[in-house]
Amino acid sequence: MSLKIVVCVKQVPVSNNLKIDPVTKNLIRSGEVGIMNPYDKNAIEAALRLKDEWGGEIILLSMGPSDFEMTLREGLAMGCDDAVLLSSRQFGGADTLATGYVLSQAIKQLGDVDLVLFGRQSVDADTSQVGPIVSEFLDWPQITFVSELHSPSKQTMTATRLLENMQQKIEFQLPAVITIRKELNEPRYPAPRNIQQSYKKTIRVWDENSLQVDAERIGLKGSPTVVQNVWAPEKEAKETTYLKGTPDEAVRELLIQLRSSNLL
Amino acid sequence: MSVNLTKPQMMLHQMVTDFADKKVKPFDMQIDKDRDYPKELWEGIVNTGFLGLTVPEEFGGAEFDAIASSQTVYDLAVRNASIAFTLEGHYKTVDQVIKYATPALKEKYLPQANHRIFGFSSTEPQGGSNIMGNTANAVKEGEKWILNGNKTMITNGGLAEVYCVLLKTSPNELSCFLVDEDMPGFKHGKREEFIGMNGTPVGEIFLENVVVTEDHLLGKLGQGVEIGDQAHYDARILMGAIAAGIAEHALTIAVDYAKQREAIDTPIIQLHSIQTKITEIAIAKENAQLLYQEAAKLKVEGKPYAKVATMAKSYGSRASVIAADHALQVLGGYGYSREYPVEHLIRDSRALQIAEGSLEKMMIEITKEVVKEREE
Repeated sequence: MSLKIVVCVKQVPVSNNLKIDPVTKNLIRSGEVGIMNPYDKNAIEAALRLKDEWGGEIILLSMGPSDFEMTLREGLAMGCDDAVLLSSRQFGGADTLATGYVLSQAIKQLGDVDLVLFGRQSVDADTSQVGPIVSEFLDWPQITFVSELHSPSKQTMTATRLLENMQQKIEFQLPAVITIRKELNEPRYPAPRNIQQSYKKTIRVWDENSLQVDAERIGLKGSPTVVQNVWAPEKEAKETTYLKGTPDEAVRELLIQLRSSNLL
Repeated sequence: MSVNLTKPQMMLHQMVTDFADKKVKPFDMQIDKDRDYPKELWEGIVNTGFLGLTVPEEFGGAEFDAIASSQTVYDLAVRNASIAFTLEGHYKTVDQVIKYATPALKEKYLPQANHRIFGFSSTEPQGGSNIMGNTANAVKEGEKWILNGNKTMITNGGLAEVYCVLLKTSPNELSCFLVDEDMPGFKHGKREEFIGMNGTPVGEIFLENVVVTEDHLLGKLGQGVEIGDQAHYDARILMGAIAAGIAEHALTIAVDYAKQREAIDTPIIQLHSIQTKITEIAIAKENAQLLYQEAAKLKVEGKPYAKVATMAKSYGSRASVIAADHALQVLGGYGYSREYPVEHLIRDSRALQIAEGSLEKMMIEITKEVVKEREE
């Protein structure tokens, strides 16, 4: 009675000054300091709690350049058992479809996986697509934007999906793919002891030769998405008024200004 | 930064910074006012594994070195000096158990150091730095030691559950014993009404015929002075880190305020008189940081570090008081107000000139080391 859980994680740039490749319109990641996608920490926390409840193992899975190892080490330091990095030049330039395809092939290769968890979206690309795409490739149920998760048995789970204007309660059978919202939990901090131990673990690195993948469906070649243009929205800086005085005085002045502008 | 952090140290630093921003910083003033840590913060410290930071891996700890522990103490002190001071008291005591305890005692107590606070106890009511004037004692009866006496001014006194205690084993001999609060005859005394570092209790303990076995003796009989000195040297690296942390905290407050406070339609940071103070705070912080990092590096490299550790504490403690005082002046009336955090930085920093050896004792020790170096 134990669960084999895969948590897919992504390293995202910490910088606010991102550069876009003028040809592919993809993010230029080299040289950027990376951090773990914040929502992925919620997915890891969810996995750790399920492991506490049911036992088993948690495998981190990521696709990206070798410096993504830092994010995988952080996940190991949070308490995950194992990590696999899918890294190859052939995987480069992948859109969400090609990424989902490679991830799903890696999950199949890991074998006997009960549950795949994602953060709700990455904070760099913001698509929320990879989790659902992986579920389609695996032909497993997908439960997205989960804010509550219960596991009355190892085979059956219930989840609340928190959507823009509704909540949806779902009961589902494993195996399944879930994407996690930050409302679900507060991720734990990596314990100092686990930090040390995370650097003693070996991260498996798989390339296209390690997986059963169709060369036409990976990387740029396997990516039908064409980004025509990427641009930063224009900053519409309006006039800013700073209200001075004590908080009481400032609030009084604010009310006067809102009323005089017919906003109240 | 004078030290290059390893990858695990860098991850630790990032974790501590994030923890400190979210779990410590919001409670900085509350800790000072309540003279205690919020339950959630304390649970976070224990459950995240801060207590086991330096405990060897074989005993369930993280086995980080002095570079990492001082960086951790600094990162916490930038947000609240008191929580850093509490960990300083714990880490320096654990260091002595690691170095001097018998294998059996390590086996029993080092796993406990991951979740129980340890404290080091040398001062008695009649004196601090003059430890040979102590009267608390240990008398051997058969295979056991009988411990008696009163110890005071213990960092974490009352909060700590396990103590390393310096006791007279003959008129001219001090020895160090490990004592557990669970032992019959052990009592906690009152907490000192100190003006700063308010989250950290400083208190006394009473030993009334506490019986311990031979293996509770740390090091050899009569090695107490050496162990006490060693605890001081280890502590002073961390005290330097707390001092640099307070200076950084003062710098942040002063700069943020000076940028937004206007005098005659100009932010006061444009004024030369304010820039002088901010510059002095910045230099004081940088120097304090370089000194404790150098001391930590020497310790990790296995080189003599007593002198530089003492300098880190001596210089740092003065630098942090100056930094806090300058920050108060930059904030003017707000700096003098209890509604702003600067005034407690002054009270907190003042403790660093007394604890782990007074400023005056630092001067004697540094001079002695400097003279010795020139005679060798």
